[in-house]
Amino acid sequence: MKKWSMGITAVTIMALLAGCSGNANNEGSSANGGGNSKGKEKVAINVWLTPQWKGVLDATEQGADYDSFLKYAAKKFTEQYDKYDADIKVEVVAGDQRDQLLNVNLNGGTAPNVFFESTFAMGDYVHRGALEPLTDIIDDNAKSDIAQNYWDMVTFGDDIYFYPFQNNPGTLVYNADMFKAAGLEQYVGGENEIKTWTLAEYEQILEGLKTKLPKDKYSNAYPMALFAVNNQGDTWNLSYLRMFGLDFFDKDGNIVLGENGVKSAAWLKKIYDAKYTNPGAESVSSNDANAMFQNQQLAISFTNPVLFNGIKANMASGTSPKFDIRLANIPSESGDPLTFTYVVGASVFQSKDPKKTEVAKDFVKFFSSDPELVKSSKNGIPVRASVIKELSGENPFFAAYDANSKYIFNFSGNVPGYSQLREALYPELQALYMGAKTPEQAIKDYVASGNKVIQSNKENSVIYKK
Amino acid sequence: MRIRNSFLKENLTGYLFILPQMLIFLAFLVYPILEGIRLSFYKINYQNETFVGFDNYAALFHDPVFFKALVNTVVFVVFIVLLTVGFALFVASAIFDKNAKYVSFIRGSYYIPVMVSMVVMSMVWSFLLNPANGLISYFAREAGLGTVNLLGNTQTVMPVIIFVTFAGNVGQSIILYIASMIGVSKDLFEAAEVDGASRWQVITKILIPSVQPTTIYITIINIIAVLKIFVVIQLLTGGGPNNGSVTLMYYLYNNAFKYNQLGIASAVGVIMFAITLLLSIPQLKAMLKQK
Repeated sequence: MKKWSMGITAVTIMALLAGCSGNANNEGSSANGGGNSKGKEKVAINVWLTPQWKGVLDATEQGADYDSFLKYAAKKFTEQYDKYDADIKVEVVAGDQRDQLLNVNLNGGTAPNVFFESTFAMGDYVHRGALEPLTDIIDDNAKSDIAQNYWDMVTFGDDIYFYPFQNNPGTLVYNADMFKAAGLEQYVGGENEIKTWTLAEYEQILEGLKTKLPKDKYSNAYPMALFAVNNQGDTWNLSYLRMFGLDFFDKDGNIVLGENGVKSAAWLKKIYDAKYTNPGAESVSSNDANAMFQNQQLAISFTNPVLFNGIKANMASGTSPKFDIRLANIPSESGDPLTFTYVVGASVFQSKDPKKTEVAKDFVKFFSSDPELVKSSKNGIPVRASVIKELSGENPFFAAYDANSKYIFNFSGNVPGYSQLREALYPELQALYMGAKTPEQAIKDYVASGNKVIQSNKENSVIYKK
Repeated sequence: MRIRNSFLKENLTGYLFILPQMLIFLAFLVYPILEGIRLSFYKINYQNETFVGFDNYAALFHDPVFFKALVNTVVFVVFIVLLTVGFALFVASAIFDKNAKYVSFIRGSYYIPVMVSMVVMSMVWSFLLNPANGLISYFAREAGLGTVNLLGNTQTVMPVIIFVTFAGNVGQSIILYIASMIGVSKDLFEAAEVDGASRWQVITKILIPSVQPTTIYITIINIIAVLKIFVVIQLLTGGGPNNGSVTLMYYLYNNAFKYNQLGIASAVGVIMFAITLLLSIPQLKAMLKQK
């Protein structure tokens, strides 16, 4: 009897403690919400993002982390939001686990409400009918401030599904010191310039780097990065396949890579066989290439503003050797630069609770258009002309990227099954580099398998079913 | 009625003891298997599930990459299991009757790779084998052998993965064999010694037959483990070059998590389950018969 009464007492005490701590938590979250939550219905939403930049404005802030910006935006949003008592939880997920996490959570009914990510990686979720259209939250002000080519990249069918925030244009990066050491000074661009070479000039550069680079100073170094072990960095490979012409997708979203694609593949094979690139491209990853560039084993590699700033930060912190790095465009036969960009922005996943969708949309609109918050887009390249104008003094590259923007092509074509389509390219490139397939055969097989993927995904696409 | 009551009384406690385990077994093993079989007959997308009969299986048998994955997986199973059993038997029979400290040292040396995460092992091998800046490639270049790209060649990629997996797994089998061999009755060895048997005869006529249940067990667990080979492929080759090292598990992963083809992925899972069952049943039968 004594034992029973002691047990009941213990349970009661624990229940009371749990009750107290529960209240304390509630009070805490209300306080977090800015103290204006009285009488408003509480609506909790989850926000996921992949690592983009650290800090609210930049990485020098104390305690800067990948979730700092969205946490700050959530706090600012809840303080001024008068429809509901919004409770926003921000979570960072690894980029390479994005699809795995999303697929598992979508099937389990626990998808996030908002996802902040490069939009090309999220296009499949539009086709699968998992995302909410955002057309109704885009106002005229945003439409005029953000250039049309960015809107085109986030429009599927008749609707906009992502709110563009910033973009990361892909370019080449080169080691100007290695150029100079190889006697290629005339090809070195300005420090804040994105240099455009013709294809003929580019081939001269590769030849010069191969033959004239002093071996004592740069032993075990190669002219250009080439990689095809997996789908990482494949957008650069897709760009190389457009060197002889931009015709890639037709208006129905089918791959129409023909003669120009074969010429491009033949060019890649030519420079690989001529040893203008790192060896073993079929089993080298873009990460390997990036590391080799930082160790001065490659003179020309791939980059985007995030990677470029990362290399500079590594040099500044002494974790990689210091040398003069500059930007260049991917050359093309026509002489026009080849440039693409990853538009980064937020999307809203469908929810059974319309209030969650409402709060999620309001939150996305808020942080994508608030004049203070959109300045954080300077960590990539802002999509808003107003932000570029205001901050161009801070980053001289903004003007160069802006000048490039008219050459941007939509590398994904917004086709259904894009992530599956990515898996079709690198095996063909591997076969090409290994000599197992001719350029004609590799392109033919890529077109066939790619169109098969697109076709099967079209059958399930809510955009194509409309 | 009385019989049933006494039967219940006698066995109820036992059933209650295994009840928690049975519940976990049913919820986390039997149910997923049944659900996997069900899903393999459906086409699943975010909005609905459509019954498609054997369409997923038909799609698999029309995909050349699936056949490549199947053949590669069988090659991996055969070679890795043979190597593991053969080498573990060789090492264990060579040292089981030696000084205890020496046995411990050898056992520990082979077991260290088992304790190291396969992810770490794969990253180390990736660093060694990288054709552009790996250590092996560097020494090959220095020795005038030119560019060595073992992972980028369809002729060498499979032997390399077989070796890496074998090196990471063999310690477990050596430990099991040594434990089993130490347990073999000393009388048999003494009798053989009296009869003038050679070391080879002792190993082949006494030791190997005596540890047969262990051999069967090691074979089964290795077959099952190798059928699921994934981490090494994902980190070292990504299934390449040109699908040269793609395995069933990697193919399943790609379909489930990259392409969101859950029906196809489930069909691959069902086929793998069937293969494992087919390979394991005769061995299990042999083991049970012996007991």
